[in-house]
Amino acid sequence: MTRGTLIYIGQRLLLITLTALIVSSIVFIGVHQLPGNAFLSERSPNPLAEQQLVHHYGLDRPWPVQYVSWLTGVLHGDLGESLVNRGVKITPLVLREARVSATLGFWAMVFTITLGMSLGILAAVKQNTLLDYVASFCAVIGYSMPSFVTATFLVLLTVTGFFAWSGGLVYENIGWGKPEQIPVPAISLGLLPSAIIFRLTRASMLEVIRQDYVRTAWAKGLRSRIVIIRHALRNALIPVITILGPITTGVITGSIVIEYIFGIPGLGKEFINSIANRDYNVVIGVFTFYAILVGIANLLVDLVYPILDPRIRSDGHLTQLFRARCHFRRHRHLRSR
Amino acid sequence: MWQDAWRRLRRNRLALVGMAIVTILILTAIISAFWTPYPVWIQSLGPTYQGPTAKHLFGLDDSGRDILSRLMGGAQVSMIVGVGTATLSSIIGIVLGLLAGFYRGWVDAVVSLLINIFYGLPDLLIVLLIVAVTQQRGLQNIILAISLTAWLGMARLVRGQTLSLREREFVEAARSVGTRDVHLLIRHIFPNALGPIIVQATFVIPAAILFEAFLSYLGFGVKPPTPSWGAMASEGYRSLQFAPHIILIPAAALCLTLMAFNFMGDGLRDALDPRMRR
Repeated sequence: MTRGTLIYIGQRLLLITLTALIVSSIVFIGVHQLPGNAFLSERSPNPLAEQQLVHHYGLDRPWPVQYVSWLTGVLHGDLGESLVNRGVKITPLVLREARVSATLGFWAMVFTITLGMSLGILAAVKQNTLLDYVASFCAVIGYSMPSFVTATFLVLLTVTGFFAWSGGLVYENIGWGKPEQIPVPAISLGLLPSAIIFRLTRASMLEVIRQDYVRTAWAKGLRSRIVIIRHALRNALIPVITILGPITTGVITGSIVIEYIFGIPGLGKEFINSIANRDYNVVIGVFTFYAILVGIANLLVDLVYPILDPRIRSDGHLTQLFRARCHFRRHRHLRSR
Repeated sequence: MWQDAWRRLRRNRLALVGMAIVTILILTAIISAFWTPYPVWIQSLGPTYQGPTAKHLFGLDDSGRDILSRLMGGAQVSMIVGVGTATLSSIIGIVLGLLAGFYRGWVDAVVSLLINIFYGLPDLLIVLLIVAVTQQRGLQNIILAISLTAWLGMARLVRGQTLSLREREFVEAARSVGTRDVHLLIRHIFPNALGPIIVQATFVIPAAILFEAFLSYLGFGVKPPTPSWGAMASEGYRSLQFAPHIILIPAAALCLTLMAFNFMGDGLRDALDPRMRR
């Protein structure tokens, strides 16, 4: 790793920190201007007890003071305490839930990339065959299918379907904790992005296959596997890698809905629950964490990029990053499904 | 340019199918404002969870409401959110993009910083946060919340277009005869960036419809009994095992709508900007 790369990483980390700080501050200040708090929704609060609670959380102080003390905590890695579940520290809670979300997201990404890329390569190599048509048609449908619709179909298929076919022997319970419960939510989450990856891989593979150097490789009499994998694929993957950043963001976003549907105890479910409970401390904590998570995911993708495409070297200029990002501007509208 | 684009668009069969579906949807949305087979909110029209019958083409839901009527009402909500968001976010994005690209300097710095900060954040989180924190669940608030994230793409696009257009000869010529900045922006730069702007706006519509469906699915959308496809799907999920039609019908409508808009957007992109064609 060169010095330039290290400076680049440093700058990116600085930008991530800045983003997380600015965004969470906006949310913090915005939330604290609002009337009402988490205690309002509780049953017949004792005025004295409520006053003690408000004092315990420091909510009776003016908001700039609260903000400074909250910020000091954040800089020490302490996101504060849940308003609804007294005594629950948010940092360990969020870290635990992030591990669940990360497991789900990891398998969803593995599924997305494997399916999208392999079908994309196959469809490009066997262009205008039945396989190509069927895969392209499925991609067109998958491309417009929101994750909760995919989830519905999969649940119908696995839970109800397997139960009926096996004569009541197999009952696939949805939930979280056992390895066999991972595939259904992971596939629901990963199907739409895999359609995007499929289309992109196919298109860029078709473009690369027609180039002279690939024809030369064929002419030299190399085996088809070597031509496809070693010569064509490496260049065809460059646009695919650029879209992995937005896709990661999309998977993280999509996991909110999927976790809600399947009752998976991850960050997304916590976010929904804490919003519904007006547990603003948790909301801010989870939001900050998400901002950092997405930032790091995008950084990792941008670091893989120059390995594949030596023309783009991270030379320590932030402008370089933004220039590189323009490549996938066109695909931005696909990101948040 | 427009005649050319129209000719190219007409040749694209998928885009035509998309446009036909979109037309049907818009008509449905307009009709549902005046007439639906049954009022969208009326309960106990028949046995709850009843499947499709001649009287109720798409069956009844968990409180015995007519699903066809609610589907039509949901089309109205989706269309308002989709078109409303596309309009609002385009206005914000075009104005800021034009200013940033034309004047550069500190205006550009501020707009670019905003874009770069919010670009990395998951849109759905921000929308959820705004809708939940403001505690307003009206259509205007949902449109506003989605627009606040959706303008980024438009601003980025328009800024880039303006940056390159402002250096072109026709702009220089216009400036040399003393045209004012506002006039330059509106009469010379904006019309030349219109093609990509229309394409971008077309892609905002399905994204916004999807966001509204997500919000309603999670229980943060328009207030019941206003019908919304997301909320209908969410209600249907509970009875998935014995009455799957309740969730499948709004889900299919949603998929079809998104597909139609995506076809239309792809077609428009190919027609308006042949260079971008893949």
